Amino acid sequence: MPGQSPIEHSIPPALPAAPEVDYEPYLENTQLARYIDHYPRSFTRNPSQPLIRRPLTLSERTGPVELQRRLSIDSEDISSKVPGGPRAMGQYIAVTGRVMDENGAPLAGAVIEIWQANSAGKYVHELDRHQAPIDPNFAGLGRFETDAEGQYKFLSIKPGAYPVMESDWWWRPPHIHFSIFGPSWMNRYVTQIFFPGEPLNETDLLLNAVQDPEARERLIFESTPTTVGAVNLLIFRRDFVLRGKRATPELE
Amino acid sequence: MDRMNLPTSPYCTIGPFFPGEFAEGCGDLTRFAGKQARGRHIRLAGTVVEEGNRPIQNAVVEIWQPDANGIFRHPLDPRSKDADPGFFGWGRARTDAEGRYTFRTVMPGAYPNEAGATRCPHINLMVLAIGLTRRLVTTVFFTEGFDQVSDPVLDCVDDPVRRGRLCAIREEVSNDAGGLPAYRFDIVTRGPAETAFFTD
Repeated sequence: MPGQSPIEHSIPPALPAAPEVDYEPYLENTQLARYIDHYPRSFTRNPSQPLIRRPLTLSERTGPVELQRRLSIDSEDISSKVPGGPRAMGQYIAVTGRVMDENGAPLAGAVIEIWQANSAGKYVHELDRHQAPIDPNFAGLGRFETDAEGQYKFLSIKPGAYPVMESDWWWRPPHIHFSIFGPSWMNRYVTQIFFPGEPLNETDLLLNAVQDPEARERLIFESTPTTVGAVNLLIFRRDFVLRGKRATPELE
Repeated sequence: MDRMNLPTSPYCTIGPFFPGEFAEGCGDLTRFAGKQARGRHIRLAGTVVEEGNRPIQNAVVEIWQPDANGIFRHPLDPRSKDADPGFFGWGRARTDAEGRYTFRTVMPGAYPNEAGATRCPHINLMVLAIGLTRRLVTTVFFTEGFDQVSDPVLDCVDDPVRRGRLCAIREEVSNDAGGLPAYRFDIVTRGPAETAFFTD
């Protein structure tokens, strides 16, 4: 019966200290600015008060693990709507890389969600008002997991660019959205990754909201020589470093 | 092993088109692995609004919490082997056109933290939305006699009014279809009644 099970109300003695992992605040110049000119929602949605520092207790240092038991993992080929079905229009691509912490340790079993536009720049989404065709063979989303080495891989088609409806000039360059679950509440991570050499990258308000040019590069896929892999696909690579650093052990 | 010191990847907004499919079935935390979660089941719901009290549609709200006994289903919790097998602890909901989100979950238990202080019953909550280049992170508290409690995270909020806004309000009449006790937690990302957010 819900709400009828007995609960132990007494509070047990203090817990042993959790292993030390440092979660330093993000370096602001390596992140997107919070306020972005010509992006009105950044001004109406970001808090006006400063964010409050708090200690990181067990609650903030833990997070969902084995999400595979809660969320279904898809086939690594989302280039068609159903596995083995007709492939979506557009350039066939493979996307791969590693997910690791700041020490370079692989994050195994991390769940990765991706969503993207089709090759005409249209999302399968009720809020997308762009006058571009929906591709009946493309769902535009997928959920994967990293292997023991922190590697992920999926097959898709290259997304198209699309205009931002609220703007009279802003076109989003081709990009893929990533949502990654690290092992802690402190390293839950969401981003967008862009394609190299796209002219629209030069004017995109989001990509260019990262001050540090090296950090900006970390939002762009690396292309792979066309001689690598199957002849009919292009391979794009992007590693992710999620926050979290194991404390340096003290010298004995 | 080598300890590299790698720069973290930049965060970016979820944009307007987060797939609804990713939130389907994720708002109910009262069952896991075919078992019913132990403890008191509750409804946690509210709205997400921006400046001018305008609702934010298609925002994503995610939560993380311990079970009814204050145990996290995570290897870092020394009591994790006693974690409720019917409770996973993570959930996700998407806001509708009025900015509303809903979870069904269990009332989290209190537990002692590493320093021996008590963490009051609480739920970690984050908001993702277009216009937010980073997530917004806060903590929902429930404690009765909220003014008197001490909690290492809650105590970081100096302003008593802002502190009070972190307490979910018990609603007299449950509007939950299953008749669960309802708690309301409204999130104001910006505005005079702004929610207190913590460093992300």
